[in-house]
Amino acid sequence: MRYWLEVYRINLRVAWAMLMQYRFAVLIWAVWGFVGPLVSLAVWSAAAQARGSDVAAGAQTFSRGDFAAYFLVYMIFSHLTMSWDAFEFAYRVRTGSLSPQLLRPIHPIHADASYNIGFKVITSIVLLPVWVVLFLVLHPAMPAPGIHLALSVPALVLAAVTRYVWQYALATIAFWTTRVDAINQFYFVLDSFLAGRIAPIALMPGAIAVIARFTPFWYMGAFPVELALGRLSIDRALSGMALQAVWLIIGVIVFRLIWASGVKQYSAVGA
Amino acid sequence: MNTAPARSWTRYLRMLAVFYRTSIQADMEYRVDFFARVIASLLGLLTTVGSLAIAYGYTDNLKGWTFAQAMVLLAVYYLMDGLIEMFVGPNMRQITSQVREGTLDFILLKPVNAQFMASFRLLNIWRAANALVGLGLSVYTISRLSVTMGWAQAIAFALTLLAGMAIVYAFWLVLVTLTFWFVRVDNIEQIVWQAFETGRYPVEIYPGWLRGTLTYLIPVVFIITVPATALAGRLSGPMLAASLIVAALLVALASAFWRFGLRSYTGASA
Repeated sequence: MRYWLEVYRINLRVAWAMLMQYRFAVLIWAVWGFVGPLVSLAVWSAAAQARGSDVAAGAQTFSRGDFAAYFLVYMIFSHLTMSWDAFEFAYRVRTGSLSPQLLRPIHPIHADASYNIGFKVITSIVLLPVWVVLFLVLHPAMPAPGIHLALSVPALVLAAVTRYVWQYALATIAFWTTRVDAINQFYFVLDSFLAGRIAPIALMPGAIAVIARFTPFWYMGAFPVELALGRLSIDRALSGMALQAVWLIIGVIVFRLIWASGVKQYSAVGA
Repeated sequence: MNTAPARSWTRYLRMLAVFYRTSIQADMEYRVDFFARVIASLLGLLTTVGSLAIAYGYTDNLKGWTFAQAMVLLAVYYLMDGLIEMFVGPNMRQITSQVREGTLDFILLKPVNAQFMASFRLLNIWRAANALVGLGLSVYTISRLSVTMGWAQAIAFALTLLAGMAIVYAFWLVLVTLTFWFVRVDNIEQIVWQAFETGRYPVEIYPGWLRGTLTYLIPVVFIITVPATALAGRLSGPMLAASLIVAALLVALASAFWRFGLRSYTGASA
């Protein structure tokens, strides 16, 4: 444990220095995350306004303020759980810059995870005032903070770790083919529909709404959001976290299997 | 700086033909990529159409736009995205990396207009994937709207598309010119894309201040909404004129800024 803390402490320092060098570029990437949720919010606000009433599906209703709350919390949680290794990794395999990383005594995932954490810490500090302003401007209907909000914190951490591991497993496909565009896009489609990115799952047409809550995508995406907004019961929250843990363990096993066979057949490119 | 004597149009057209021919020859090496791109493009389309369809499941009208009309907008968005990635993107990215690596000097030393060389040297035909998907969707949505396409309408559509491309080019050229002073902004193009992304949906759904920004500051309206209106056969004469004037004005301003930037450009390597 002490050993790993030390590894991450040093990696974080390196990541911090690297990020500081590219402050402006890092900020542009961070602001990129605003576009999707805000556009979705605009679409659903327009829909709520066109109906002249709340958008209702089954037991769940969404007013304009509810949509604002959903997509704002989604924006922040999505920032805290995001990972981009699937894009980065293929580039490294293609250019051969992965090779020196494989020679290190520690698995490259740890340096990457440190960089991911460092990125989130730096950008969150910068984005915090922007988030506050968005909350003030968009008038989200937030429930009073309570047990739901508290429970959403561990759910969010589990979502972040689970997404990281699954994305890294996906990234590892680059060992076989560096043309991962279509694969990543397919993942993005699943993520958009099943993780509640483009609309709250409750508003999805019948079958998708039912299926989504069994897939890992919902647990990496909308689950902590709906929990924070008090839309899930305490029982559902606890069973949900248990399922998150299950998906995390499955993710780790899948990742290790793919990595072990991928690294065997990887042959370096470049000098 | 370019000190070549004034040359005829035909010389530049011949040069353009050579540039594009060599680009296509180079691209032929990456044929398989194209299929992956078409699949990626269709999957991306599925997400956007899906998200709109779900919202339209709860209402038949978003701020005056029916689902079929919103689809026309989406078709033009994809077409424009494909055209930009084919003709504009490769060149602009090339300049950015050339500034960083100091190889822009080779372009500046050639006896042709440097802006021409930097803006038209490359063509990426495989990026036509999005353009093809957009074209297909355009034909489909237009047939669903039961609009018959006349010659005047087709020409107006082509002109507004060209104007839209020119506006994107002008913005990107300004950002690229900024790299003469601030070299370390590799992903500066993301600013263009973030604004462009909002054009997928009718501008009316956005709050007032954003609508104003997207109309006047970064005229996404002229890039996507106006061509879409032309495609649907609802474009007025003054609007067509406005789109052409805005495009010409922005390209002129961007070119002036580029020439101003070149004066302060100093090579990065020996």
